[in-house]
Amino acid sequence: MAIISKKIIKDIFFKTSNILPKPYVNYLLFGIILVILPYIVNGSTLLTIGSVIVYAIAALGLNLLLGYSGLISLGTAGFMGLSSYFASYLTKDLNFPFFASLLISVFIPVILGLLVGLVSLRIEGYYLAIATLAVAEILRRIFEKFIAFTGGYVGKTADYPNILNVFMLDREGTYIILVIFLIVIMILTHNLIQSPTGRALLTMRGSDAAAQAMGIDILKYRLIAFALATLYASIAGVLYVHFNELTYPTIWNLGLSLNILAIIIIGGIRSISGTVLGAFVVYSFSDLILKEIPFIGEIPGLSNIIFGVLIIVIILFYPQGLIQIFKNILKSIFIRKDVKASE
Amino acid sequence: MSKKAIVVNKELSNDIVLQVDNLSIAFGGLKAVDNLSFNIKKNEIFGLIGPNGAGKTTVFNCITQFYRPNNGEVYFRTKRDKVVNLVGRPVYRIIRLGLVRTFQNVELIRELSVLDNLLVGAHIKYKTGFISHMLKTKKARKEELDNRKKAIEVLKYLGIDHLKDFLAAGLSYGILKRVELGRALMSDPNLLILDEPAAGLNETETEQLAETIRKIRDDFNSSILLVEHDMRLVMNICDRICAISFGKLLAIGTPKEIQSNKNVQEAYLGKDD
Repeated sequence: MAIISKKIIKDIFFKTSNILPKPYVNYLLFGIILVILPYIVNGSTLLTIGSVIVYAIAALGLNLLLGYSGLISLGTAGFMGLSSYFASYLTKDLNFPFFASLLISVFIPVILGLLVGLVSLRIEGYYLAIATLAVAEILRRIFEKFIAFTGGYVGKTADYPNILNVFMLDREGTYIILVIFLIVIMILTHNLIQSPTGRALLTMRGSDAAAQAMGIDILKYRLIAFALATLYASIAGVLYVHFNELTYPTIWNLGLSLNILAIIIIGGIRSISGTVLGAFVVYSFSDLILKEIPFIGEIPGLSNIIFGVLIIVIILFYPQGLIQIFKNILKSIFIRKDVKASE
Repeated sequence: MSKKAIVVNKELSNDIVLQVDNLSIAFGGLKAVDNLSFNIKKNEIFGLIGPNGAGKTTVFNCITQFYRPNNGEVYFRTKRDKVVNLVGRPVYRIIRLGLVRTFQNVELIRELSVLDNLLVGAHIKYKTGFISHMLKTKKARKEELDNRKKAIEVLKYLGIDHLKDFLAAGLSYGILKRVELGRALMSDPNLLILDEPAAGLNETETEQLAETIRKIRDDFNSSILLVEHDMRLVMNICDRICAISFGKLLAIGTPKEIQSNKNVQEAYLGKDD
């Protein structure tokens, strides 16, 4: 029985992946699974998985920056926060439609990011980390003190998106919007890393000298990578405020930026599916699994300890992240069968 | 100031591809290259030799603008037959003019396949930007396909097309040297600069390399400048050789002239008492 069912799974897997270009099918299937997921798993999972998606989008941008261009940003949370406040201000106070507000709320952090990048990247790559850290802290103070615009410590509210005045979305509808954004961003990122731009970024990370000798303008490609990371973070910020209906200063602290970094390290550097897996581990593990275990689930701060240990173990034994274990398992299921069959 | 005026009006005789004029660079007190001048003709294989620490690689780096020379000019005849001064141009612009280099210790990208490494060499051929790449527009797809075809042709030319999908990380040094050569060829250079192409190769591989370099000169219609320690290779394939020692010119001439030159013998073997 087991053998037959494995064969069927294998057939379905390979046939579907032959019809459409393979990666797209995988991403679309994953999207469908995400849409169904909250209805299969009980409880308040919708909020948890929604947050996972939001942070996965921001982490995809950071993975592009860290994994492909070798640069690091510690300001992810700051840029997310900035766009969330703009989205809230524009839709709630000025009654902008969702998409117009999205465009503006994303545009402003990206411009700010480009300015920070232009100043810091001219010197040395690692100055970006320092500069983004500073900008994020300044932004956080602004969120706290510039009350007329941000509401201070209380924060600011936003509604579920209202699309073209036709679809007045509820929480479930907004969740589907999140899934669509995630899948589209996964596909676009997939295209980018396989393109000349992706190769240029990798070359830059591998060897400055080779990159320049091959005609790659290092400053330009560093700026592209950083602008994309900021873009993804800002989109995540906008989606966050519309899904949670609230934004306030304490969310957008350095801890969040570091958590998003942890997503990449745990899930898998230079891996799109790894990033999403990492987001699930970091942001749903404690809510969906740990809290369900009796006694152990009640220990405060346990998840932080587990992540700390996990990061050490992964860096030591699986530098490619958890996704590597996942891929090894898939390989052992599908490939060993083929070898046996051919014998 | 008057020097700059000459730069604009510089005329190279039609058969010269690269003209190095009075090139000097010093690191602290050390003069690595001292008032060096030479030229390279069209379709010529030109060797730069000298004892260890003579400043050969420094000359390369001054030509390709990885280092800014303190003094002197480097005139180059571009693919479009225009004469330009390379000094002061950004490093990444040099390849667009038709001058491409390889590195002494191979600088390939380990995470990329052999084919993708070659495509890095075609970077300047892509006209589409990163937004078209993300959206995979028709134009971007066509460009990628064309360059891929060309890369496979170059790999076939170098006899390594069967390795196209292997990651660079796992391949032998001899193969990697050839991949790097292929990457340089992707940009259709009219001057190819090879930094110790035979370093780390065994005897058979070196013989093959000599054959390949000659073929490249003929098939790609390109001049070749090479730095090399393997004297047999240099004497075998170079049309002319420039010998330097401590950054100073010793002699320029055909392999025979260089071999019989007293100064060169002295620099390599020491003075006869």
